[in-house]
Amino acid sequence: MRKLIAAVAGLALVAGGVAFVGGTRTATAQGGGTIEAEVKYNGAPQVEKLKVNKDVEKCGNEAIIEKVVVGANKGLANAVVSVPEAKGAPTAKKITIDQHGCKFVPHVSAMTPGEVDLKNSDDILHNIHTYSTANPSINKAQPKFKKVMAEKFEKPEMIKLTCDVHSWMLGWVAVMPNPYFGVTDANGVTKIENVPPGKYKVEVWHETLGKQTKDVEVKAGQTAKVAFEMKK
Amino acid sequence: MLRRFARVLSRCSLSGTSHPRPVWGTPGSSQRASTAPPAPRGDFSSPLWSTVVPALIVFSGLAVFAPSLAFAQAGDANAGKVLYERKCAGCHGVKGDGKGPAAELLRPAPRDFTSGIYKIRSTGNKIPTDKDIFEVLTYGMPGTSMPPWSVLPEKDRWNLVAYVKTFAADKFKEAPKKLDLPKEVASSDASIKRGKEMFEAIECNKCHGADGRADGPSRPELKDEWGHPIAPANLTKRWTFRGGASRQDIATRLGSGILGTPMPSFIDSVEKPEDIWHLTNYIASLGPEKPSYSTLLTVRAVTDAIPDDPNAEFWRKIPAQNIPLMGQVIMDPRNFNPAIDLVSMRAAYNDKEIAFQLTWDDPTQSQPDGKEIYPDVVALQFPPSVGTGTERPYFLMGDASDAVYQLRWEGGKGPLEVTANGPAKVTVLSGSEVTGKGVFQNGQYRVVIKRPLASKDASRISFQPGVFTPVAFQAWDGGAGETGPKMSLTSWYYLRLEEPQSNRRFVVPPVVALLTLAAMVLVVRVSRGRR
Repeated sequence: MRKLIAAVAGLALVAGGVAFVGGTRTATAQGGGTIEAEVKYNGAPQVEKLKVNKDVEKCGNEAIIEKVVVGANKGLANAVVSVPEAKGAPTAKKITIDQHGCKFVPHVSAMTPGEVDLKNSDDILHNIHTYSTANPSINKAQPKFKKVMAEKFEKPEMIKLTCDVHSWMLGWVAVMPNPYFGVTDANGVTKIENVPPGKYKVEVWHETLGKQTKDVEVKAGQTAKVAFEMKK
Repeated sequence: MLRRFARVLSRCSLSGTSHPRPVWGTPGSSQRASTAPPAPRGDFSSPLWSTVVPALIVFSGLAVFAPSLAFAQAGDANAGKVLYERKCAGCHGVKGDGKGPAAELLRPAPRDFTSGIYKIRSTGNKIPTDKDIFEVLTYGMPGTSMPPWSVLPEKDRWNLVAYVKTFAADKFKEAPKKLDLPKEVASSDASIKRGKEMFEAIECNKCHGADGRADGPSRPELKDEWGHPIAPANLTKRWTFRGGASRQDIATRLGSGILGTPMPSFIDSVEKPEDIWHLTNYIASLGPEKPSYSTLLTVRAVTDAIPDDPNAEFWRKIPAQNIPLMGQVIMDPRNFNPAIDLVSMRAAYNDKEIAFQLTWDDPTQSQPDGKEIYPDVVALQFPPSVGTGTERPYFLMGDASDAVYQLRWEGGKGPLEVTANGPAKVTVLSGSEVTGKGVFQNGQYRVVIKRPLASKDASRISFQPGVFTPVAFQAWDGGAGETGPKMSLTSWYYLRLEEPQSNRRFVVPPVVALLTLAAMVLVVRVSRGRR
């Protein structure tokens, strides 16, 4: 009985927390469920190394290009998990992508349509050169004195970020139609919370390994687990 | 006769309104003048004459300003299609995808119009104006295979603009947005200085190099939108700028960037808006708008010793003579995209030696690996002896019957003397008396090759003042994979060693003048005496 009370109380607390966090977002998010996705990759990590011939004091002597990052338990990092069919208004949250150590940090970001702050904390010239189809592609210089540039990505799609000055620099921004997405951590895990109850196709996308979808049913207050295994 | 001459003169002055002075010429040579309608003979007061003159002036004025009158016109895409398939599809492809039959040989590759990506825009967004496309069509793209199409009637060019846009009709649904350039800042020492500071602060050198010679550290990594390697512009050679060499052109490129290439937009990425113009003024100060090329090459006569060091003060005092080089496309392997397009020569001789200082731009100092990278080489080619006739060996390094003699400088080896019977048969001459030195700095080679004036044997030329000596140039950028027949070259030029200047010119004329005066006085005296 005590356990039950504790569980109910815990649940109420979680629900309250969820309501608090998601309160300003949408009404539909209330009473939503959670999707816990685990993405695995049954292969070796793909890492390329390049000798750096400039800006070594900022970039280091060797650029490491991580095309596939595999963590413990074969977990695949940097995969974007999303629920494209779910209905939900975009969040007002502005994300920040930093150019630090001649890398885009984070390597993969996800956002709903809106503004993004592009930081240059390297004190050297970078140029933000995006490859996109739905959004206008950008190629803007960001010299050392230009610490932050605000850009808008208004249409959902996967946008590639590059820098022509440092050709190894690569980043991705997933612009999503709704706020139900997550990027897998080093263990290949991500949680999507407050998903309105219903049956959905959950999609996973990885820059090198492509896409996969799985069916999942989200019930209010419950966690639906979904597991993906990406192949070459 | 006088009348006829006056008529020609008056016609010349009418047709040549762009010249401040009338063009003097014989009736036969004055082609432009002869196209003017015949003027009434001698009668300058006739009413016809008084109407023809202002009309002609207005007409020729219009012709001069015609380019600026080219207001955007709505072209007819259907008419453009017919012309496109005849004139443009060879490179750009019938489908406009940049995959015409000739595309394979062209670097940079012909534009894929289906992408809707246009390099040269005067706009602040991705969409070029019709006039932007019209101007690229009219003036071509310097430094690429895209020629100027000003030969086509203006209407045809507008029709082509309309048709080319249909390949990416979706992109052109968006309207061009005006690029807001700051107010123009005239060039001055202060502006150029500020421009240099900004050039360094925004790190233009990363791609374009510290001196602007396209040798920046990011150069080998640069790729265009389609993944093809792409070279940054050599800022000292403005005439190769794709979108034009004027200050307005440069400021516009800085402002809007060059789409589909690594060149980003700087409109919001300078410290103060007017820095765009300071940068422009600095870039414009790096080189002339147009190159000046020499046809007859002169070797200066000097009395002092000639230094081997190409950076010596000595060489600064001698005028540079520019020679354009072309890719070798006569024999395999052909070089359709030569890396070296210009060699600059300074030359001097004294009573014992002759020396050539050659400079040319090369983004890398080759470290040969024998597979893809070869030594950087420059060659001055001469016939083994200067004959009396006009006959010279085959300019492409001679042939089996007639050899050529070359003074060379090769990276890693230094100065050499060689004899060649064609590119496949090159022999290094032994017992060479050639000295010299080469330096490489910020994307430029400077090399001195020095040799005794007199020849040692029959395979080496002997240099003599006042003689027109055939000379040709060849250059290899080993870093771009150039070796053997894959080179840049010229056909034969003429080299002339200045007559040595002696003090006699200060002595002989006064002596002659004095003697003449004496003779005259004598004649006068004698004739008076006879009276």
